Amino acid sequence: MDLVKELEGLIPELEEGLNQSSDLQGLEALRVDFLGRKGRLAKIMARLPELPAAERPQLGQLANTVKQRLTELFDARKNALDAAREAALVARFDAGMPGNMPWKGSLHVVTQVMEELCATFRTLGYDVVSGPEVETDFYNFEALNLPADHPARDMQDTLYIQDKIVLRTHTSPMQARTMLSRKPPLAVVAPGRVYRRDSDLTHTPMFHQVEGLMVDKHVSMADLRGTLTAFMRAVFGPQTRVRFRPSFFPFTEPSAEVDISCVMCGGKGHAHGETCRVCKGTGWVEILGCGMVDPNVFVHVGYDPEEVTGFAFGLGVERIAMLKYGIGDLRMFFENDVRFLAQFA
Amino acid sequence: MLLSLKWLREFVPFEGTAEELGARLTLLGLEMEDLLHPYDGIKDIVIGKVLTCEPHPQSDHLHVCTVDAGTGEVLPIVCGAPNVAAGQTVPVALVGTTMPDGMKIKAAKLRGEASHGMICSERELGLSEEHSGILVLPDTLRAGEKFVDALDLDRDILEIGITPNRADCLSMLGFARETALAFNLPLTLPQVQIEESGADWTHDFAVEIPDPELCQAYRLRLLEGVRIAPSPASIRYRLHAVGVRAISNVVDVTNYILMELGQPLHAFDRDLIEGNKIIVSAAQEGERLVTLDGQERILRAGADLLIRDGVKPVALAGVMGGANTEINAESRNVLIECAIFRPGTIRRTARRLGLSSEASYRYERGVDQVGSVYALERAAALMASLSGGCVRTGVACCEPRPWQAPVINFRKPKAVSLLGIDLDDTFCRDTFTGMGCTVEGQGEQLTVTAPSWRQDLSREADLIEELARVYGMDAIPEKLPFVHRSLDDFGHPESHYDFLLRVKRWGSAAGLNEAENYSFLSHKDLDLLGLPKEDRISILNPLSEEQAVLRTELTPGLLGTVRHNIAHGNTSLRLFEVANAFTLDKTSETTAKESPKLAIALYGPLRAGNWPDAERDADYSDLRGLVEHFITYLDLPMPVCRRDDGSHPYLSPCVVIEVAGESVGVMGRVRPAQADAFHAHKPLWTAELDLTILRKLHDAARVQFKPLAVYPASTRDITVMAPAMLSVNAINDCLAGGDIRFLESFTLVDLFEPEGKDERNLTFRLVFRHPERTLKDAEIDKEREKACALLTSSLGVRI
Repeated sequence: MDLVKELEGLIPELEEGLNQSSDLQGLEALRVDFLGRKGRLAKIMARLPELPAAERPQLGQLANTVKQRLTELFDARKNALDAAREAALVARFDAGMPGNMPWKGSLHVVTQVMEELCATFRTLGYDVVSGPEVETDFYNFEALNLPADHPARDMQDTLYIQDKIVLRTHTSPMQARTMLSRKPPLAVVAPGRVYRRDSDLTHTPMFHQVEGLMVDKHVSMADLRGTLTAFMRAVFGPQTRVRFRPSFFPFTEPSAEVDISCVMCGGKGHAHGETCRVCKGTGWVEILGCGMVDPNVFVHVGYDPEEVTGFAFGLGVERIAMLKYGIGDLRMFFENDVRFLAQFA
Repeated sequence: MLLSLKWLREFVPFEGTAEELGARLTLLGLEMEDLLHPYDGIKDIVIGKVLTCEPHPQSDHLHVCTVDAGTGEVLPIVCGAPNVAAGQTVPVALVGTTMPDGMKIKAAKLRGEASHGMICSERELGLSEEHSGILVLPDTLRAGEKFVDALDLDRDILEIGITPNRADCLSMLGFARETALAFNLPLTLPQVQIEESGADWTHDFAVEIPDPELCQAYRLRLLEGVRIAPSPASIRYRLHAVGVRAISNVVDVTNYILMELGQPLHAFDRDLIEGNKIIVSAAQEGERLVTLDGQERILRAGADLLIRDGVKPVALAGVMGGANTEINAESRNVLIECAIFRPGTIRRTARRLGLSSEASYRYERGVDQVGSVYALERAAALMASLSGGCVRTGVACCEPRPWQAPVINFRKPKAVSLLGIDLDDTFCRDTFTGMGCTVEGQGEQLTVTAPSWRQDLSREADLIEELARVYGMDAIPEKLPFVHRSLDDFGHPESHYDFLLRVKRWGSAAGLNEAENYSFLSHKDLDLLGLPKEDRISILNPLSEEQAVLRTELTPGLLGTVRHNIAHGNTSLRLFEVANAFTLDKTSETTAKESPKLAIALYGPLRAGNWPDAERDADYSDLRGLVEHFITYLDLPMPVCRRDDGSHPYLSPCVVIEVAGESVGVMGRVRPAQADAFHAHKPLWTAELDLTILRKLHDAARVQFKPLAVYPASTRDITVMAPAMLSVNAINDCLAGGDIRFLESFTLVDLFEPEGKDERNLTFRLVFRHPERTLKDAEIDKEREKACALLTSSLGVRI
């Protein structure tokens, strides 16, 4: 019955071996040694034919029990080692290691503000339309009630391509283009680049405007006021107050300049005991020009001013961006320093 | 426009402050831009009486004076002015006073004599350039009184922005009318009483206007026996307060009336006018006139308007007088011109000559023709009183186009509907009459005749604007209108704006920073990159050479961004821009073709070398990857990228990007010599894609669902040993066109360049799949062999 002893002896031997091995490699070696195809258990079993036939079943049973026990011992040790390894891994995990961030891009602040303005009007049901930047004198001036030799042309110093071809000085030509290509009722905004012959601390020769136009039966100045107030709240917050001052634009009548309560001091005119530098103490900042479409403009595009009325407005995108983000220097918009660009992702 | 509160009060009894007036005018559309106090700098100057005046013992030009300046003690003051004398009333700066130039008056000793203050000249007070002596004041002024109070100077000046439509507000009178309307106050014009003398001089003097289009009215008054001298202080200091330089009593009156009533006037020396006539007529081509500023002006036919005497041109109408008939110290007889000219003519001349004057500014905008009669009378009376001259009987006048007041039909319902407010009949009527209109009719339909000074009122819309202005635009309720949409508004392709926005959002999400560059740059910038000259669009009147031409591609502008950033130490650049490029197109209504483009520029290390990534400079694979990413983002197939050597003006290597057989753009590395101009000393990679073509392809692309594969794929690798010059494109084309069965896709998975050999080892992984069954190994191996054989036979490579 040496075989029985040998079989039973495997258990304490493996226990001792397992106690001495502390890594998965040693564990695997032990597994091969004891339980492998040519391992010690297999070798003992290979000697089974040496036994008398009557003893063989008994020994076979014992062999199974031993095998089961060996496997259990082995698994228990492996689980313990796995758990220790995992615990060590978790313990060493360093949450302070840097992240591997994908490239971070940005939309230009002008693009962002312009889209914010357009998006607000989209929710009100307006279409966004685009037109050429090189424009004819007709669309840029004549159709907008700005005949040649009119002093109102002084309000916009113009860059000329040819005698009657200009770089558009405002997005207002889109009023005429839209009305000529569509029938009322219509409600559109036209964002884009505009150009003036003007360059100093507060003017760049190129900047961006968003023009708005609504034409329908019975559009009133109350509608214009409501629309712009809604718009200003959407951009600057629900506390924003809006003020209309009469003004003059050749293509609207009545015309108004619109001020909003100062974004810096909240309209108080002072902050921290000092005169607010944004509104210079007035509590108001000028934000856009607007008015009711002049009947002459309707006549130019073949609409009957007795049938329809409308309002139009135009605003400078950079101006709004400067107020919204506290950008002090207009020139930064077009220098495109990536340290500037990346701030408005 | 500078408005003096004190001057205004001569017309309207406004008792409020300048701030109150400014706030109210602002809400009436006359925006107060600033509130000035031009005499604050001399508010501490006091009136003094020179008691004694003795020569300074140690000087041949100084005087030692004693002065009573109302301080309770007699002040010793040393004065260097030649005209100082005992008994004078003078302005005195006491010790402690800060002068307008910043100098502080201190007690001092001048060559041993004590001096406790300074007797001032006009220049020291900032009132004029006069400094030949001290300012001597009328003896009626009390010692110790503040100088600014004693002379009752115009201390509150409102700077008001006047919109081009409100020519009527380019005068004190205009503001007085607005003030009277706003505060419901009476308006009073100064009474003018002229004592005419002598026979009517106009019997043998003619005013001729051959073309009434150019000049609606022309009037002349004759003053005889004037004495040219400085105006009294009240006139000079008032003009100074509103920004006009005092010249002489006669000229000052013309300017005074201009500021007060808005009527430009001109004074001729009568004795320099030849022949007894004035002709107002168009200039002839090349005619010359030396204007008051000493400049010779060369005039154009059909553009400029001249005033002529019997012999010669004497003034450029409405813009500036001629030097040949200018008022001078010896002038004795003066012709005062008071005219109405065609605004457009004056404007064109003033702009062409770059000669905008106070007169031309008003003429361009429209001057009150009816009011001009009063202005001439007031000017003549004032000039006579200041210069000692006599006004001769008679006004030489030619008025071929008397003022026709516009008669406007006003319908209240139209105003109510346009403004969105209820309007009271009385309010409408009172507003119109308050503005100076005459109103006929009752109730909701009125016939309104506009006053001659409001040339902006000719239509019903103009009247409605006035109602809104006076009602208060801020009192109009706020109402959010319903936007009526029609079914035709829906189902259209994505708008141009939305498409470009989507492209920009792609760029940002792909990790690029969006730049916005000017649409114009210099011809030099385009030349530097070797761009063609013939399709450029130049600006006729650029601000500078740097902004003289529209960019024909975006990249030149984007390279400017690269330069700016490198110069500012930003050396890791991933930039993009979406904008129009401009090229000449004779068939276009605007002569320009505007092509939306996407430009990308990569430069320097794309990551900052942060762990775990090694620092690596941008290369072709980065740029091409972005381009492929973008094109597939537009639902288009992977582009074909082929070298196009030698032909591109600034990219080398240059790669043409093709989608569905169409060229959609180029990419490549900017030639080092050209990149150097942008401070780029590492490889600078750029791409420029045509968004018009890509938009067209994108709109045509249809995304269709493809069923997912059911059976597993198998892969086989092939390593190709190819000559270094052989493009991966050739291998791609060979495999793609090789009719290899079950080949689903293939990709380059490894590249090894053995040292010392002009060869590359390229490992491709081929993916095989059958849609309806699992492939057998033998089938796949057979196809792999086929691929190997194809590559070796057609490309001469080894496997």
